[in-house]
Amino acid sequence: MRYFFLVFAVLAAFLLGCAYKHSGPPSLVVPDAAVTGNAQGKDRSESLPVLERELQAGLPFDGVDEFDDLDEPEAEEEEVRISDPLVYWNKAMFHFNDKLYFWLLKPVATGYKAIVPETARIGVKNFFHNIAFPIRFTGCLLQAKGREATAEACRFMFNSFFGVGGFGNPAKNYPHLNPPEEDPGQAFGRWGIGNGFYIVWPVLGPSTLRDSAGLAANHFLNPVSYVEPARDSFAITGARVVNNSSLTLGDYEAFKKAAIDPYASMRNGYVQERKKKVEQ
Amino acid sequence: MTKRGMVLQRLPIIFAFISFILVSPALGSTALEAVETNVSAVLDVLRDPALKDDSAKEAKEKKLWSIADTMFDYPGLSKRTLGKNWETLNSKQQEEFTDLFSTHLGNVYLDRILAYSNEKVVFDKEKTKEDRALVNTRVLGPSKEIPVDYRMVLKDSGWKVYDVVIEGVSLVENYRSQFKEILRDKGPEYLLETLREKAGDKGR
Repeated sequence: MRYFFLVFAVLAAFLLGCAYKHSGPPSLVVPDAAVTGNAQGKDRSESLPVLERELQAGLPFDGVDEFDDLDEPEAEEEEVRISDPLVYWNKAMFHFNDKLYFWLLKPVATGYKAIVPETARIGVKNFFHNIAFPIRFTGCLLQAKGREATAEACRFMFNSFFGVGGFGNPAKNYPHLNPPEEDPGQAFGRWGIGNGFYIVWPVLGPSTLRDSAGLAANHFLNPVSYVEPARDSFAITGARVVNNSSLTLGDYEAFKKAAIDPYASMRNGYVQERKKKVEQ
Repeated sequence: MTKRGMVLQRLPIIFAFISFILVSPALGSTALEAVETNVSAVLDVLRDPALKDDSAKEAKEKKLWSIADTMFDYPGLSKRTLGKNWETLNSKQQEEFTDLFSTHLGNVYLDRILAYSNEKVVFDKEKTKEDRALVNTRVLGPSKEIPVDYRMVLKDSGWKVYDVVIEGVSLVENYRSQFKEILRDKGPEYLLETLREKAGDKGR
């Protein structure tokens, strides 16, 4: 019992520390408000030039100035480009993953969805997200993003404790505990390493040469990888994929319906999304 | 009271009046408000119990399309999607492309919004520069939140959407990358044929 209080005291001190650092009120998400988030994001702004500070004042953790896009219409013509020397392999793997989804993942996830209530599935998703904390934390550290790293660590503590092992996500309501998610692949991008070329992995899906190195790093940073024997580790990963897919059923179908050329659409979508994340 | 005193006394009123004149054009016509009005209107239609029934499907789609028509800048959006390739189409092809692509994009957008109909949309903020604006919104789902940004341009008839950015992926840019390959490999007629099939799925 004494230990419990000790742990609680340490955690409380830690959390208070977090709260102090971020100083902004833990404002809940305010619907219909044009000013959401104005209270955050000011503590690191001292070191920034005035203009940047003004632009950043609106959002917590907003590093990108999307306003650049608005300057000249021509700027938007300059789309993200990616070389695709492995196009035949990639198309084959795209096809393989497509079938994997429709023939295996979708039926399994649909059955699972029918049995397990949504609340439980969201809990499992939260749990896996929470224990993958080292990936995001390292991603922050590799980019020297101290503030975001602290936020990640705080969220991990907060959700592990108050979210009962990470199944709950009480940190969701605190914008300053929800930094944009980082990973090693993004850090490599931040260091100036380019995408290399596009590659579609079986099962894992779209990636690039750089992000594949990131995926390898993710593997070593994910606690699930260290579960012995390896068979159990695979099973747990499989469970995560089925669980998370059960929450996004229909998304892939909608994507395919929207696309005129699904392969090209996915390639562009992947590269755009990663580019945005690297800039963030 | 002296004349000067009179003016001074009325200064606050005059000031308030002037500022009202300066501000009033902005009332009800910012980019953010335009998005909010249109998206809320779409959600209202989707949530309207009288329109939930299958028999009301046609009326519902008609309503949704009339909102979409006021919301999007179809010609700008189509031209932007083809980029440099716009010039390689003849004027008849351009016209047909605009028509087909806006139908398809409208379908895609309404499909996505339809999937979000039970979720809350938060209208966060806007950034405006001259006749362009970027509006940030978020769709709050039970298991995740999806950022949806609108790129807008100010036309005579108000703010119009020319691109939708979902989770960091610009739709216009995404389609441009697809069309570029099709136009390079197969030509405009093939692109139009593909679009005719796609848009025909659920045309208006």
